[in-house]
Amino acid sequence: MLSLYSVAYDLISIPLTAIAAHLPAPLSAWLVNTTLLNVLGALVFCAILLGASMINTIMLIWFERKMLGRFMDRRGAMHVGFAGLLQNFADGLKLFRKNTRRPKDADFVGFYAAPTAYMVSSLVMFAILPVSTGWSAGALPLSLLLALVVFSFAPLFIFLSAWSSANKYSLLGGMRSAAQMIAYEVPILLAVVAVVVLSGSFDLTTIVYEQQNYWFWAPLFLALIVFVAGMLAEMERIPFDLPEAEAELVEGWNTEFGGMLFAFFMLADYVRALVGCFLIVLLFLGGWTMPGWVPASATSFPLAGIFWFMLKTYLVFGVFIWIRASLPRVRTDQLLRVGWMRMVPLSLLSIVLAVAVVLTKCLPVIGCVPGIGGG
Amino acid sequence: MSTPETSSRPPNDNPILWVAKPLLTAAKQFRKSLFRPSTIVYPFERLEDPKFREEVAVAAGKPIGIGAVWDNYRGVHALNIDTCISCNLCAFSCPDLCIDMVNVAGGDPKHPKKCPEIDYGKCSYCGFCSDACPEGCLTMTTRYELSVTKRADMVFSPERLYQVYEQKLPMNPIRLERPENEDQILLDPPVCIGCNACARDCPTKCITMLDIVKPTAAPGEKMPKRIWKEPVINDSDCVRCGTCISVCPKECLFWGTRK
Amino acid sequence: MSEMWINMGPQHPMTHGLWNLRVKIDGEIVVDVDAEMGYLHRGIEKISEDRHYNEVITLMDRCCYVAGMAWEHLYILAAEEALHVTVPERALYIRVMSEEFQRVASHLMWYAAFVQDIGLLTPFLYGMRDRDLILDLFQSYTGGRMTYEYMRVGGVRNDMPPGFTDRARKLCTWLIDRFKEYDTLCLASTIFHKRCDNIGVLKAAACRKHGVTGPMLRSAGVKADIRKDRPYAAYDRVEFDVPVQQDADVTARYLIRMEEMRQSIRIIRQTLDWLDAHPGPVIAPQLPRWLGAPYAPIGNEGYLLKRNYPHGLGFSAIEEPHGEALAYLVNDGGEHPYRVKFKSPVFANISAVREYVVGYHVADIPPIMGSVDICVGEVDR
Repeated sequence: MLSLYSVAYDLISIPLTAIAAHLPAPLSAWLVNTTLLNVLGALVFCAILLGASMINTIMLIWFERKMLGRFMDRRGAMHVGFAGLLQNFADGLKLFRKNTRRPKDADFVGFYAAPTAYMVSSLVMFAILPVSTGWSAGALPLSLLLALVVFSFAPLFIFLSAWSSANKYSLLGGMRSAAQMIAYEVPILLAVVAVVVLSGSFDLTTIVYEQQNYWFWAPLFLALIVFVAGMLAEMERIPFDLPEAEAELVEGWNTEFGGMLFAFFMLADYVRALVGCFLIVLLFLGGWTMPGWVPASATSFPLAGIFWFMLKTYLVFGVFIWIRASLPRVRTDQLLRVGWMRMVPLSLLSIVLAVAVVLTKCLPVIGCVPGIGGG
Repeated sequence: MSTPETSSRPPNDNPILWVAKPLLTAAKQFRKSLFRPSTIVYPFERLEDPKFREEVAVAAGKPIGIGAVWDNYRGVHALNIDTCISCNLCAFSCPDLCIDMVNVAGGDPKHPKKCPEIDYGKCSYCGFCSDACPEGCLTMTTRYELSVTKRADMVFSPERLYQVYEQKLPMNPIRLERPENEDQILLDPPVCIGCNACARDCPTKCITMLDIVKPTAAPGEKMPKRIWKEPVINDSDCVRCGTCISVCPKECLFWGTRK
Repeated sequence: MSEMWINMGPQHPMTHGLWNLRVKIDGEIVVDVDAEMGYLHRGIEKISEDRHYNEVITLMDRCCYVAGMAWEHLYILAAEEALHVTVPERALYIRVMSEEFQRVASHLMWYAAFVQDIGLLTPFLYGMRDRDLILDLFQSYTGGRMTYEYMRVGGVRNDMPPGFTDRARKLCTWLIDRFKEYDTLCLASTIFHKRCDNIGVLKAAACRKHGVTGPMLRSAGVKADIRKDRPYAAYDRVEFDVPVQQDADVTARYLIRMEEMRQSIRIIRQTLDWLDAHPGPVIAPQLPRWLGAPYAPIGNEGYLLKRNYPHGLGFSAIEEPHGEALAYLVNDGGEHPYRVKFKSPVFANISAVREYVVGYHVADIPPIMGSVDICVGEVDR
């Protein structure tokens, strides 16, 4: 089976072997050493992963700008590249060239470490989430758990950045952010438990293969709603974007950041949005698998898995953009009340439902309802 | 339409639908503007293009330029130097004092022709100057792009304003009528010394100096037979610029209504 | 967290202009507020004393940049009373139509800013888009999009261009349809009600105490509208209703303004019909020449020194989009007004800020201040 890691390994091993053929024996033996090739292959693997995820993230921003524009009866980015495709690269370049200024009272370590850590912790997610078969470097039996753990680092770094930038708006935004993320971690985890109950595994690849016949969104509709709402809060998108509520808190916890530090936050936000969409697709929408009524030719071409996965991801993100375009922002206390008093019971209920589905073995019955993604 | 006199608040009409209606409304707009949003791509498309005029725009279901009659717009001025009579009225009527009368090339070097120079750093585009212009030579055009890199470039000399005029941009078609009972310039004859200053400086040359016999002798003495000159103003040509009043050394000209 | 002051302004997304709301917060609760104004003071009243009567109009457009026509109307009414000028009837109707269009444009601007304050980004663009159509319409007969310089002492500058009334009617139809869309995006959304119900309450007694007028007063159940109570221009000849709400909160103000826009369209349709049927002069034919239309040789010393025109006092009160605006003008026979005094409704509305912000959440400040509809240009003048 073709895997991304083997591709990366080949990319590094084939040229190195060719070079080694022209070199004296001790040097060539040192060069085509398996350990070195493995290390270099892992690096190339990371580079490919990073490049693909960053490009996808930036395309996600483009997608949001264009789609939001249509909702608002305008066009969005137009002029850099075809239909503004390169606009975000230009914006990134502009931010890269900008000076970053640290406020006088800001804490040095926190101010610079927080954005970096936020960015890195968001990017690590891409190594955990399988996009298609053979995407991950190795089998991770607890990849779902690991993903959720890494995903929940963010409030820590947000609060660190808010506290260290010595700004009242930042502090308020950071407090809100921490409260909100902690409040919504709970229902997210409980909703995930429902998925685990149904699939019987913490391995994301296994979860996807469990869905080959019946996507989980139909039996776990309640869990999906809770998970989507929780993801909206985790991504800090409207209607749950209070931490950076620009109407009252200027830019919330990243008020004081400029230049590349701001770009880190901005990018990491979209990385997290992408990761959230990945998770929804993986847990509820069947990952890279397609239902049986889709003709085989549509699922068997090269990279078909990645194609369908990304298509689903962008559709899910389109729904998020739609929600952003049409709903106002809620208030902090209302958000927390909804989180603790509605989402947590709902997610508990969804676990009960999942257990009931497993016990009564009625999954095929639900899955056989036409048009809900059954196999 | 709800009845306005009622004080009752319309109920939150569908608590079950929660936020479904706004979502649907936004989606409806999304469908409408998927291929053709209402915005125009400004530097490449312009609202003054005929294709954005009302008929086309409304036919396409787009609310673009529903009232745009661009000839009416108050933009950069155009000055026809040839017909300018240097009457100063534009400079007088400017609330921002952004118009200076400066010499233009050509003509009598002793009495050079003066034409308005406009500082767009101060101009508020109120249009009073073009309303005041009696000859219709200072008009406002539809040009609205004025970005410059140096502050000095904001000052438009008469020659530059003439270049705008030569572009033949659409100009404001509405000209104002002169009021029926305009004040006129009247003469206080005993004070006049016949110095010819008003006739010399009148931009429309509507003042002629006529010979009259000036009775300046005291009663009882013999009248001198000396010939004086006195200005006579041709009222239909006068543009009421007041130049004669300001140059009169004896302040014998004044505004008023002829009885 | 202990109590602390934060500055919302002068450069802040909530302020919509240059002013500063100092907020003392305890956690997320507002304990005290203090409004600081004056960042945009341009001395318009003083400058007016050195400007010819018609030239003051250029300042009025800049006085309130979202309701220029209303402020022109306010000043012109005072100036005409002080200068003893009578106005042709057609000009009165044109003024009423202009002011009502301006009211719709101002309310659309308010709508755009308000929904953006509560985090709704899409209707912001809708409001701005539809306001732009009104600006297009203004431009078609005044020549300016925001600074119209259209009214003159004794009438208005020029008559409508041909085909104007049809375009205006078409726009009215378009706008009435859009208002439904606006209501769907806001009122039909449960989150909107969660954000806006029962916050920023300012009851009628407190309104009277602080001189709060306009939609804020009407949302508290007081049916006060200068257009009805002290009709000016042609308002006594058109039919319209004054919307009133009882709850005095942000949603009530929203409802008041939406209904006011509908009533404005109703007035505009009547004036358009009248204008079609009654052609005529739009500026008084017997104006004293020194009033300057179309020629204004002011600044020409010696010209006005010998003028002997009757003195006078002018007072006017209009229902501006934000509330009741008053103007007082003294004509001492000179070429300039001796004194001009304006009373801005928004100044009073902001001054009462402590009454309707304290006790709510920090996140409630943007919707509350958004519902006040602040135009800093007229507050500071």
